[in-house]
Amino acid sequence: MAKKKALNKWPKKVKTMSSKYLPTIGIECHVQLRTKTKLFSGADNDARTAKPNTLINHIDFGLPGALPVFNREALHLAVRAALALGVEPQLFSTFDRKHYFYPDLPMGYQITQYDQPVIIGGQVEYTLNGELKRVSITRAHLEADAGKSSHPGTKDYSLVDLNRAGTPLLEIVSEPDMHSAAEARAFAEELYLLMCYAEVTDGDLYHGNMRFDVNVSLSDNDKLGVRSETKNLNSFRAVEKAVDYEIKRQSELLERNQLVVQETRGWNEAKQKTIPQRSKENADDYRYMPDPDLPPIEIDPKYIKQVESEMPKLPAFWRNELSALGLSSSQSNILLEAGVNFAEAKYMDLVLDFSSRGLNTKALVNWLVNVDIPLVKTDSSLIRTDRNKLYLDVLNLVEAGKLSSTNTKELIAAALKSSEVLSNISAYASQAGLLQQSDSSQLEETIKEILFTNAEAVKDVKAGQDKAIGFLIGQVMAKTSGQANPEVARQLIEKLIKQA
Amino acid sequence: MARLSKDDVLRLAHLARIELSNDEIEEFLIELNEVLAYFQQLQSLDTKGIIETNQVNGLTNVMRDDQLIDYGYAPRVLLKNLPLKMDDQIQVKRMVE
Repeated sequence: MAKKKALNKWPKKVKTMSSKYLPTIGIECHVQLRTKTKLFSGADNDARTAKPNTLINHIDFGLPGALPVFNREALHLAVRAALALGVEPQLFSTFDRKHYFYPDLPMGYQITQYDQPVIIGGQVEYTLNGELKRVSITRAHLEADAGKSSHPGTKDYSLVDLNRAGTPLLEIVSEPDMHSAAEARAFAEELYLLMCYAEVTDGDLYHGNMRFDVNVSLSDNDKLGVRSETKNLNSFRAVEKAVDYEIKRQSELLERNQLVVQETRGWNEAKQKTIPQRSKENADDYRYMPDPDLPPIEIDPKYIKQVESEMPKLPAFWRNELSALGLSSSQSNILLEAGVNFAEAKYMDLVLDFSSRGLNTKALVNWLVNVDIPLVKTDSSLIRTDRNKLYLDVLNLVEAGKLSSTNTKELIAAALKSSEVLSNISAYASQAGLLQQSDSSQLEETIKEILFTNAEAVKDVKAGQDKAIGFLIGQVMAKTSGQANPEVARQLIEKLIKQA
Repeated sequence: MARLSKDDVLRLAHLARIELSNDEIEEFLIELNEVLAYFQQLQSLDTKGIIETNQVNGLTNVMRDDQLIDYGYAPRVLLKNLPLKMDDQIQVKRMVE
């Protein structure tokens, strides 16, 4: 089983905390694997829009005598997950039956991995307020999901849909290495990015592709206190709020010299509080036993090497790249999150394409973070625009000195919103008066005129007063209705005054 | 030799979600202890030096490709034997208050 780890040293931060209790937090996360079919049957794994009980067969339905057969792709994704967590998968692992009775569990047991899981160890690193943090991973195991139950209004029954039954999950268990709600949230977000970028999961939080259970305990000494477990949180905000609530609830109990009860709780989103749930069995009540239908899994080290060589690029790679381009860590996060949340926009492919072609990637990521992503967040239909053409065209105009930075943003926004604009970007830019004049011969005439009528300012420039140049540039901009390139104008003014 | 107590039987009944009458508790106490005693014959075997295993058939890596399988019947056939159903869902006793 999981190795017991010595309780972390109290972090320095604790001295500045108002409470005398140190919170300790561990997280379990169920990650839904992006396989086509279920873990042990060939039924379709995409239950999002399917009618109830249409993605089922004798295996997922738990009929006696049905033989589960392990999905090869689930192992592939588990190996990827291990590598993303910075650890090699276990070369030998087994499946076990975990028995309990619940209406959404047709077999009367869940197929999971008990004492020989596919992943032991690993870690997740994340940055919080500029500080690098590390959370160790205890273990991660493969298991089949249960069905989905619903409880119509005031009726005296519940309804069970088994489309989800048998969906492959990887349950990742962290060490109790976190000490605040903010840390818990940051860890959950990083784990999410990691699993999405490793292409282990589709990361659809709305459909429960990642569900978090948080274990929270408080202590005023170096022993861990009694913990509560709040289950089935499906958003990062809920993780943070639930931990916050538990810290507050437990410290109030302890302040009044009352005991914290070890129990399972649920998060009530409407009331913004955790509430106790009916208790399930303890571990020794689950009557774990090896599943005789499922032979052990042996992984060839060569297979691990092969999966490693095909690993998608992980957040750490992108963070390095983006920080080398001068992006702050919060800007990098905006881009990384958009890379998953708006996968169809293919932001990361675009960035990779620009950088591999030696194009101005720094400009691109700034446009994405400051213009594109904020717009997509307000109107997700903009996801589908062909960004390759858009940003190549915009980049050409910018590099020819024809677009100011304000007008660049305006042009990008217009092209994202309209396919007509997109199909002829430079014509639109010209019609809309977004282009600036960088053609020096045209500008030169205008500037000569301005220098002639502003002799006083010219004198000041000659006397070394920089402000006067600014004044003259302003005159040029006014005369050209803002279409001159101010930098080109400055160079021309300086040149012409010198010549005079 | 370990023997099951009345409390053990009650706990097993709870885990199996089965209600037992007092007579049944006595009955199962005897029966389960007989079953246990039968298996306890295994304790007399000398297992020194034998590696623990969880299977005996020697198979490993029985896997299938991630492809949809047509099992040759419509899923709704499976719903036929349900004692209670509603809108193609399985109807059960209410699980939450």
